[in-house]
Amino acid sequence: MLNANPPTGRRMALVTILTLLGLCVAVVCGLAIGPIPIGTMRIIGSIFSRIGIGHSTLNSTQFSIVWQLRAPRLVLGLLAGAMLSVAGGTYQGVFRNPLADPYLLGVAAGAGLGATFAIMDIGGGTYTPTWTPLLAFAGAMVAVSITWIIGGRGLRSSASTLILAGVAVAALLTSLQTYLQQQASAQSLARVYIWLLGSLASASWSSVDLVLPYVLVCVMICVAAGRALDVMSVGEDESRSLGVPVRRVRFIVIAASSLGTAAIVSAVGLIGFVGIIVPHIVRLLVGTSYRRILPLSVAFGAAFLVFADTIARTVIAPSELPLGVVTALVGAPVFVLILSFRRQLVR
Amino acid sequence: MSIVNIDSLTVKAGNKILVSDVSLDIEPGTWCTIIGPNGAGKTSLVETLAGLRRAASGSVSISGTQLSTMNERERALVVSLVPQHPEIPAGMTVREYVSLGRSPYHGLLHAPSDNDRRIVDSVFERLSLQEFSERDVVTLSGGERQRMVLGRALAQSTSVIVLDEPITGLDLRHQMGLLELLKAQVEQCGLTVVATMHDLTLAGQFADRLVLLDKGKVVLDGPAGQVVRSHELAQCYGMNLRVIDVDGADVVVPVRS
Repeated sequence: MLNANPPTGRRMALVTILTLLGLCVAVVCGLAIGPIPIGTMRIIGSIFSRIGIGHSTLNSTQFSIVWQLRAPRLVLGLLAGAMLSVAGGTYQGVFRNPLADPYLLGVAAGAGLGATFAIMDIGGGTYTPTWTPLLAFAGAMVAVSITWIIGGRGLRSSASTLILAGVAVAALLTSLQTYLQQQASAQSLARVYIWLLGSLASASWSSVDLVLPYVLVCVMICVAAGRALDVMSVGEDESRSLGVPVRRVRFIVIAASSLGTAAIVSAVGLIGFVGIIVPHIVRLLVGTSYRRILPLSVAFGAAFLVFADTIARTVIAPSELPLGVVTALVGAPVFVLILSFRRQLVR
Repeated sequence: MSIVNIDSLTVKAGNKILVSDVSLDIEPGTWCTIIGPNGAGKTSLVETLAGLRRAASGSVSISGTQLSTMNERERALVVSLVPQHPEIPAGMTVREYVSLGRSPYHGLLHAPSDNDRRIVDSVFERLSLQEFSERDVVTLSGGERQRMVLGRALAQSTSVIVLDEPITGLDLRHQMGLLELLKAQVEQCGLTVVATMHDLTLAGQFADRLVLLDKGKVVLDGPAGQVVRSHELAQCYGMNLRVIDVDGADVVVPVRS
């Protein structure tokens, strides 16, 4: 399993170029593929016209389809893929645990409970979709805060105590959510399930506007933490002796990852698998340094989720597959493939 | 003037006293080894000196500044650590690992400077690590690994280096090799070494001074030759010890009673 020589700069450059190419292809696919066929070259022409190069040849219907329906969905997909992947990578680094994903500290359970609460409309009255993201976001942030407080008692925690606290908080909130679901009508239950599996179907420019500031800031903080996470790979005591304020770094990156993840989850529901699989795929390709893993996970995750969404909304069109199902269906074989070809890949 | 001042230091874990009222002044450019039976408090003492444990009472100062007033980065600029069981992160090259020692200088948001690289180069040369430079750290043997961990600590360019059982698990040749390398740093670069060791013969041969610790307290503190020949040493270990002179070197041998 071990290679005598970790990846070289040349392979890093190659992987970066291929990932960026993949990202460009994902963007074009996200805009070009759909029930109403619009030529790829005309889409590319329209993209360039938006940045002031050349003219768009799309008619007004096509223009609306591309820029009001597909584009916000694409951008939200890019943001969700980037954020979930970089948060997963950051969690794996800060907890030094390969099984860590962005939902580790209870974000998913908290958001799930909040969303279920909103969808089931516990307060009486009729179902108002606008409450779902708000309560999901609030639930996610409350869950992580509880985990931090009981697991960490402030800044003095060890990483494993925090993980265990996350497990307890997630179990508690999930059981509450299950109880609520049991009380739900068939219609509400269906809505809850759709939300739990994640979807970009309700993406709009306003949802993009809502999550964009969180995602931008949180992604930047996570990527900037790469060097600190590399030092922290020698363990808590040794990294302290190397000058790393371990607890402060842990607080900052957990806060950024959780906030960004909560924002994404509130907009698109619980998309599983991306946060755990993408950083691992990137790690297999470019080695274990978080300085390489985190920025590449941003690009790789963004492209991956857009491809997954393109599959989700086309294979059984006009219906859609749940995005969380597709990420696992596509992600698992890709991961296994890379794992089995790892020896050849790392040479 | 001494470089390390340990003043009435007491260290606790919960209610258990690990180090009790220890006072030591260590001169710059000297090698001080802490010896004593298992559970004597050696590791707790050096971990406190490295800033990893807090003093319950008393203080530890390096170059006149108390460790408790420094943040992690300031501490990493004055004292470095070679731990007993270092974590070896798979996938990192030996060069990347040794370069971690420069992180307190360039910070966590910046890349190493040319000066950082030059210092890492000189550490590689001094410890003859060049041939391993691009190897994955987990592929090194025990002896090479320990040399690399020492390299990281030397790259920190601190005036004091703390080593906890640095030769445990190494064969004789690697034990001697590592200690000779360290001795050269003390003699040529004026490094101050504070180490814990179980091998009393090697401890006596390399250290300028031995501090015998038992149940958290200093039992004896003096020149190596004097401490290894003391009856307190045998008493602490609860056994017969014989010291044999072999070509001017003291060899400590346990004898069955």
